[in-house]
Amino acid sequence: MAKILVVDDSGLSRQMSGRILRESGHDVVEAQDGIAALETYFLEKPEVVFLDINMKGMNGFDVLAKLRELDPHACIVIATADIQSSTRKMAAEGGARGFVTKPFVAAEVARAVNAALEGCKEWI
Amino acid sequence: MDLTEQQKDALTELINIAFSRTAASLSELTGNRVELDVPEVSVHPMGELAGALGRYVQGEVATVHQIFSGPIAGDALLLLNHDGAVNLVDMLTGIDPPARRLGASSKEVLSEIGNILLNACLGIFGDLLKVRLSFTVPRLHLESLADMLESLVIGKDELHYALLIGAQFHVKSTEITGSMLIVLGIASLEHLIRAVQEWTQTSTFPAVDHERA
Repeated sequence: MAKILVVDDSGLSRQMSGRILRESGHDVVEAQDGIAALETYFLEKPEVVFLDINMKGMNGFDVLAKLRELDPHACIVIATADIQSSTRKMAAEGGARGFVTKPFVAAEVARAVNAALEGCKEWI
Repeated sequence: MDLTEQQKDALTELINIAFSRTAASLSELTGNRVELDVPEVSVHPMGELAGALGRYVQGEVATVHQIFSGPIAGDALLLLNHDGAVNLVDMLTGIDPPARRLGASSKEVLSEIGNILLNACLGIFGDLLKVRLSFTVPRLHLESLADMLESLVIGKDELHYALLIGAQFHVKSTEITGSMLIVLGIASLEHLIRAVQEWTQTSTFPAVDHERA
């Protein structure tokens, strides 16, 4: 079991991904924008950040860069409807440890988060 | 006539998924990355729709217009700045030297591009909501906003409100900018809200057969 920070400007998506992650045995905390994500990350110290890309204000790539700058060990899984190969590449280059596309499929979400948890342990 | 915040949120997320498929298709066609804004959902009296569309439509535009029907019916529009539309056709057809205006063959190419892009969007929209949508052949408009508005099917059903869902996009490293819009009459809105509510209540999203990049 791990603590997962779900960052998404859509309440519906936070609800959906939160439900999947809780059913997979994880604790879930939420943030609805980039600034709240940064604050919540340092308050809650989650093991994984489950991060949307297309958000108003700070988008997911900005949050990814900032988190990795402030904490090089930040373990981040991108969760987005954007299926462009360039997006996947930018996420990997930005240091994300997983990539899940919307609409969410429970098994894919759980698999990506668990794989990220395993992978990120090697960093620490 | 207002949507609740929860309804707006669910609709925005649904459209974000659908428009993202369109952006991915456009990215594949052009070989360039496509930047998509967060979609906006709003309800407008019909008389104010032109003004509301004005935020997406500036200057000379080429519009590919596809009417969809079924339990949810309305108009899907792909709007491109005129130079961007010419640029897009040139990129895809390899015309040399590049054209400055849209000729007959360019218009045909642009209509087909619109067909691919709008179907990418409406296909996932229908799949997620589990409704069967039928599409007309797309039509290309190179006319004023007022004339284009006249061609919207929702304008003909004498209803007083329209649901406008839109997002702007930009094809990186090109002059191509545009918007995708869906306009629905209120007759479809109730069905749409019901379908979206059913969608949000499913325990997990369905495993939609979409391309994984």
